[in-house]
Amino acid sequence: MTTIDDGLSPADFAATAARAVAACKDLSVAEQGALLAGDGLLGVIAAEDAGGLDLPLSFAVPVVAAASAGLLAFPLMEHLLLARALQRHHLPLAKAIVAGERMGSIAWAGAVTAKQQGDRIVLNGWVARAPCVSDVGLMLVRVGESGAALVPTVDVRVDESGGLDLAQPESSIELNGVGIAASSVLPEGTWSALEADALVLRAAAILGSAETCLALAQEHVSTRRQFGHALSWNQSIRHTLARHKLGLEGIRQAIARALFSEAGLRERRAAFVAASTYGVAISEGAVQMHGGMGFTWDVPVHRHVRRIRTLQAQGDASGVLAALGHDYIASVAPAAA
Amino acid sequence: MTAMNIQVQSSAAMGSLSGEAYRQAARSWLVANLPERFRSDSAAFVSPTLDESIAWEAALHRAGLAGITWPTVYGGHGRTLREHLIANQEIGALAMPESANSIGKELAGPIILAIGTEAQKLRFLPCILDMTNVWCQGFSEPEAGSDLAGLRTRAVRDGDVWRINGQKIWTSGAYRAQRCLLLARTGPLEDRHRGLALFAVPLNAPGVRVRTIKSIDGKDNFCEVFFDNVEVSQDDALGAPDEGWAAAIRVLAIERATNRMYRAWRFENELRHLIAACKTDPALESLLRERHYASRLAETLVDIDVLKGHVETAVDALVAGESIGSRGSLAKLHWSEAHQRFAALAMELLAKASLPLTPAVRVARRRFENVYLGSRAETIYAGTTEIQLGIIADRILELAKGK
Repeated sequence: MTTIDDGLSPADFAATAARAVAACKDLSVAEQGALLAGDGLLGVIAAEDAGGLDLPLSFAVPVVAAASAGLLAFPLMEHLLLARALQRHHLPLAKAIVAGERMGSIAWAGAVTAKQQGDRIVLNGWVARAPCVSDVGLMLVRVGESGAALVPTVDVRVDESGGLDLAQPESSIELNGVGIAASSVLPEGTWSALEADALVLRAAAILGSAETCLALAQEHVSTRRQFGHALSWNQSIRHTLARHKLGLEGIRQAIARALFSEAGLRERRAAFVAASTYGVAISEGAVQMHGGMGFTWDVPVHRHVRRIRTLQAQGDASGVLAALGHDYIASVAPAAA
Repeated sequence: MTAMNIQVQSSAAMGSLSGEAYRQAARSWLVANLPERFRSDSAAFVSPTLDESIAWEAALHRAGLAGITWPTVYGGHGRTLREHLIANQEIGALAMPESANSIGKELAGPIILAIGTEAQKLRFLPCILDMTNVWCQGFSEPEAGSDLAGLRTRAVRDGDVWRINGQKIWTSGAYRAQRCLLLARTGPLEDRHRGLALFAVPLNAPGVRVRTIKSIDGKDNFCEVFFDNVEVSQDDALGAPDEGWAAAIRVLAIERATNRMYRAWRFENELRHLIAACKTDPALESLLRERHYASRLAETLVDIDVLKGHVETAVDALVAGESIGSRGSLAKLHWSEAHQRFAALAMELLAKASLPLTPAVRVARRRFENVYLGSRAETIYAGTTEIQLGIIADRILELAKGK
């Protein structure tokens, strides 16, 4: 596990994050932002100049996991990544995000075109999968292949909000001739760096939800009685839960590997794919373990299923899997004749 | 160069190197000394004979690449578990033959280190590492497979010696072994896990009979071993009669997480070999470009990364002095099923090769037929999948079983 010179370890942040997430219940997005900022959680990986803690990505993992475990209704991953992405060229804005004074989101799907018109840049196109965009003032969109631009949400048309995740509804957005200042266009490469970090943080979010689902299923099968026994007496249920535990540890191992100093895109993709695969199995399996109760609104398992499926789609798990395979295949030379 | 005349500098070719320098030295030695015909990804591959395996593994030991963490006084190299991991990563990266003495090095040796007397450690351990004593494992019986507590082979004290009567089965490599790590009952059958004792039985003792059993891969490696009033001295009893098994279980829990530590890196060697071979065949190369096969191969890569994580975190925990409990069951369950999935995928891909087969595809087919057949045993030995699931449910999740 990563530790830094003063002895801090990522695990130290888990309890703080869990407490803060619990305190966010029933607050507005803005109120949640202020609360999370007060606990120092929005600037975990941002530079000290921006008011952050300047810690490695590994320290954001337990924070994002705790947020997902508590079904936080705030785009925390986006804030963590935005603060760091903006700290070099937009320091005051990065500071405001870390302080919880400005709120932002990221549109993870789609891309826009950018054309210079006078001293303005004009954006056109559709983007989607921007969580909580109706409640924030800023949105980062992809420009072309690997560029990015900051857009005030007041200038865009939100076409549709909703999706599976009730706590963090995603939106599709049309940018039809939206003009922004040239300084709002971030350097080429910003988007790919953001995506690489998001692979790990999405895996962490899925880990948090999957861990909660397994705990709920474990509790249920240990206390619910049928045929004169606790459900956990049944071997098929014991073995299914054992497989879910195996999957959960698989997510944990894959994330740990993605955080090694030598880790690259391969390990990050593997972490996200492992989390998507096992996370879906664990959460949907937890619904099954709860029987009819699992299909009701009252049991919270469905909300984790919704979140995990949303994160899986947001990160394009099947596309990441195929890219991982294609890149690896390309790295292997043909056998010598 | 043949295995029989492998010449290396005396002990510790790796010297006092550490970290990356140690890795480079291990890599260089292996590449320079592993005979081409021992590499299963080579067209020159011929399965090594027992004598060749013994010579090769003795050379590995002299080079500092076996007995890595064992104390030097017992013939080991006194290195850290992290260095053991580094060496295994390099061993796994090559298509090297499996050890002919893995039971000695990864089961008997660690158990003797944990519960053996000083005299036993000095007598048994150096002989395991220099390959003069190959070991086999006498645990399973016809009526006690997964349920070892039901075993019936008896050890009865007779003055200064023990007398062993019974039968063991699925005893890999007994025909070539000098010693058997034998689990026998000293108390009544009703005592189940109590009254079990471990012995280091010499297989040349009068009354020992070994019969080979042909296995799924056509090899005669499996054996039945019969013990007919076999006399074993007290010097060959490992641990106290009622304590030996409990201590062995503790060692086995660690071993399950750390044995054949090279496995994940060997799986990646297999994956790279499969892809490299497919690239020599136009039909297979075309399949590799398909999203379907790219995704399935990527699933193997994810499985490999997860396995690497299991191994590395187990090493971290052990180095930190933590207990790893039943964590080894998670790793065992994962790698055994992941390897079966990969082996089946390799067979599926290679079956689609164009004719005539390219030389590289021919080599890969030969290797992966063995990998595939061998992998079918991997969810059975060292505790079946069902046993591992039970351990995870019982000891990690602690699910209630009663009414």
